[in-house]
Amino acid sequence: MHKIAEIEVQHNIMKANEKIAKRIQESLNSHNVFSVDFVGAIGSGKTTLIEELITDMNGNIAVIAGDVISKFDAGRFKKHGIPVVGLNTGKECHLDAHLVEHVLDDIPLKDIDYLFIENVGNLICPVDFDLGAHMRVVVISVSEGDDTVEKHPLIFQSADLVVINKVDIADAVGADADKMVADAKALNPNVKIIKTSLKHKEGLKEVIFAIEEFLIQ
Amino acid sequence: MHELSMAEGILKAVIEKSEDNNATEVIEVVVEIGKMVLINPEQIKFLLDVLSEDTIVKGAIFTIEEIPIEIDCPECEYKGKIDDDELDHYAPVVNCPKCGNKRLHITNGKDCIVKNIIIEQED
Ligand SMILES: Nc1nc2c(ncn2[C@@H]2O[C@H](COP(=O)(O)OP(=O)(O)OP(=O)(O)O)[C@@H](O)[C@H]2O)c(=O)[nH]1
Ligand SMILES: [Mg+2]
Ligand SMILES: [Zn+2]
Repeated sequence: MHKIAEIEVQHNIMKANEKIAKRIQESLNSHNVFSVDFVGAIGSGKTTLIEELITDMNGNIAVIAGDVISKFDAGRFKKHGIPVVGLNTGKECHLDAHLVEHVLDDIPLKDIDYLFIENVGNLICPVDFDLGAHMRVVVISVSEGDDTVEKHPLIFQSADLVVINKVDIADAVGADADKMVADAKALNPNVKIIKTSLKHKEGLKEVIFAIEEFLIQ
Repeated sequence: MHELSMAEGILKAVIEKSEDNNATEVIEVVVEIGKMVLINPEQIKFLLDVLSEDTIVKGAIFTIEEIPIEIDCPECEYKGKIDDDELDHYAPVVNCPKCGNKRLHITNGKDCIVKNIIIEQED
């Protein structure tokens, strides 16, 4: 005999990620480590920004380099002589808390002050996945076009700091950086927005100040 | 765009629950997807069909129910549903229906829940 049964499951896929993210943050807190999730468009300057922070910020930094193929960016970070873990996401379009928790053991948490996580270049998917970081920095550049902010409202609403990079080439690509600032402001009135030209270290001090200020809060 | 990992997560939960309940076949799977989750329900359904091929879930009907968005507006204190019929899957822009504010506390619509399964059991 066979019988048909309706079974309640009530399994929340999103909550699973949230739970792990919370665990990650607790572990970071217990070691007094401040963590920042850097998200942004492909090629906007995430790796460049983190490299500049490694050079200019006070305190010990470790980096998790997440990418579809992570060895390229991880190699750039390793040149700075800091702890680096590459995280291959393979076909995935974002990092999730589960992936980050897996590599957390490979990071010497007791020796560092900051854990910087470079997320996969993508302005959509990371929104759904909290990594347990304390702060989210969204990095875009003028070369993506000045309607980028408008087109991706959620990521800008989830940002604690917005960096608009490559302003040195704004004219060449016909983008209005101030429009991008205004769009971000409209979506997230309290967020700090900084225009940078990281290639020339312009705006870097302001970014460092904004991260340190956020840490204190 | 992370439909694949979501579909894998859904399937894993369904297989576990089916095995726990000695299922011989899975007839239907009901999944609730919030309208604020950045995935396309049609694509999820397709992927579930493909991924379930070699599992006990093969051939099941996947029913997707959308969870409407509910907000809590810090500006004017509006609480409740909004008009979410025309929202884009990947860029849902939500405004407070009362005051137009965009900085909202989303109280519902961000979850993806495997709600229940209908199975055939040996007894
Ligand atoms: N003109 C200009 N180029 C820059 C600036 N900042 C970075 N770049 C260049 O932009 C390119 C991409 O920079 P990355 O730092 O690798 O960008 P990314 O966001 O890490 O890229 P992915 O990890 O591949 O998504 C590099 O060739 C950088 O030299 C800038 O301020 N101005
Ligand atoms: Mg990079
Ligand atoms: Zn309102």
